[in-house]
Amino acid sequence: MIDFARVQKELQECSRDIEASGIRVSPKSDNLGCLIGTIPGPIGTPYEGGTFQIDISLPDGYPFEPPKMQFATKVWHPNISSQSGAICLDILKDQWSPALTLKTALLSVQALLSAPEPDDPQDAVVAQQYLRDYQTFIGTARYWTETFAKASSLGVEEKVQKLAEMGFPEALVRSTLEAVGGDENLALEKLCSG
Amino acid sequence: MSKRVLCKFFSHGACLKGEHCEFSHDWKASPNNVCTYYQKGLCTYGSRCRYEHVKASRGHSSASSSSTNAQQSLISDPVPQACSARTQLVGVTPVLGTPRELYASSRPLIPAAKPAWNQEFGHHDPLDDGDIGEPSGNRPADHSICSFAAAGNCPRGEKCPHIHGDLCPTCGKHCLNPFRPEERQEHLKMCEKKQKHLEALKHSQEIECSVCLERVLSKPTTAERKFGLLSECDHPFCISCIRNWRSSSPTSGMDVNSALRACPICRKLSYFVIPSVIWYTTKEEKQEIVDSYKTKLKSIDCKHFDFGNGNCPFGTSCFYKHTVKPGSYTWRHFRPPPRRPRPHRTNFVAMDDSFDVFEPLEGLEDFNAEDLFNEELTSLEMALLLMDMGFDTCDSSSDEEDLYSP
Repeated sequence: MIDFARVQKELQECSRDIEASGIRVSPKSDNLGCLIGTIPGPIGTPYEGGTFQIDISLPDGYPFEPPKMQFATKVWHPNISSQSGAICLDILKDQWSPALTLKTALLSVQALLSAPEPDDPQDAVVAQQYLRDYQTFIGTARYWTETFAKASSLGVEEKVQKLAEMGFPEALVRSTLEAVGGDENLALEKLCSG
Repeated sequence: MSKRVLCKFFSHGACLKGEHCEFSHDWKASPNNVCTYYQKGLCTYGSRCRYEHVKASRGHSSASSSSTNAQQSLISDPVPQACSARTQLVGVTPVLGTPRELYASSRPLIPAAKPAWNQEFGHHDPLDDGDIGEPSGNRPADHSICSFAAAGNCPRGEKCPHIHGDLCPTCGKHCLNPFRPEERQEHLKMCEKKQKHLEALKHSQEIECSVCLERVLSKPTTAERKFGLLSECDHPFCISCIRNWRSSSPTSGMDVNSALRACPICRKLSYFVIPSVIWYTTKEEKQEIVDSYKTKLKSIDCKHFDFGNGNCPFGTSCFYKHTVKPGSYTWRHFRPPPRRPRPHRTNFVAMDDSFDVFEPLEGLEDFNAEDLFNEELTSLEMALLLMDMGFDTCDSSSDEEDLYSP
């Protein structure tokens, strides 16, 4: 049985310091067993500026079993499958501990983005490129970030315009959009709530 | 507290104050059985009175002092050391070093069990109004202190005919009898202990389990409101969470020792979990909890050992009592019976294998070195051995909490 009380607590805790960590976890539907996590690409890496979505599904034994995590956003990274988004991270497997939370697990994933481990790869092609031709790897990773992780930000101008037309000042719309990570609906909600 | 005098209501079987009563509810306490009406001169019950009719005659006390001398020396208490200060205050001749005759004559409240003829100047009622201002007639140690003051506040204040106890620094009540050092010490000790317990409990209220993220002592059921202390580190968990984690089946290549037996936070390996209702603040407190838990287990017979008829997988490091009953397998063969086929636990098998290496000559597959220690040992010796061995054979001891929790 999933400990839903704990999941609720984790979500509250996570939303409390969303500003500081940039990590967001929200339920996919009414069922708390399926969640979506969002992490910003770490600064100083080819993933900078991107917003990565991670599918989280909680097993019945949570928190005594690790949550299942998978990138929903395509990423070019040696430890993340470029095809499926599967993550190769020990704490999501045999090093899981019930004292870890969704937030700390996502933080670890974020740390994995900035510190790839090509010797223990999930995606052999990416790992090989990382080891043999680092510059190309950087380029590809940056390109993938631009293409897939900023998809929502591509239409930023459109969104700004749309929201501005609703009567909100443009500067505020822009900053709000940025704060919520480019999600139009969330931005609208935030603008309305003041 | 003035628990010396037997409660009259209690002795008749109906004290409404229960354990809050300031009089003793202990049958062994000396009953205050003296009839105060008789002493004042008139008891309408006469010979049917259930209280003892003892004449209070302070008047001719000095005259008979010599006659009571012998008896006095028999029953006089050791002179309390604390009393001199107080006695001087109220203007009595200091008791210390006073010739016996002097205060023998002023001795009050002879235990009522004594025959009345021995108590020529026996009891004089402390409530007697005539006595205000001259408690000098009594030996102070025999007075019980004012129960109102002991409970917190005495309405009579300065005019109270009873002794007001000294202020207890811990509970803030005037309940320290200045003339009874033993009682005083006892109260101080108890009070401090209670206070400590209360503080620890208060402190424990705040502690959250790192797994369920809830306050352990705010959990819905009493069984859940317990901490599970890890032997090797100081991270708080509730007993159910930590046991759940330690007993969860190792999935996806999780290692029992490095993951499950380790603290979820610091990953330090702990071999057993100790249940406790209180969270500790110091090492000594933790040790106390652990020790009392082990002592408790030591008094329970081991189910696996079964008085010598079973084979305990924990051998000598078992926390439970291994009693060899006459006529049991171990009694007759000087070794535990062969083990039944091992259930699933892989780490045990590995351990046994390693022991078998040292026992090839025995030719007994089921025999392991650990069990050798059990031979010809009385339960006391085994207990001692266990104490010595402690957690050496840790692999096994780690499981016992999980196998049979109290």
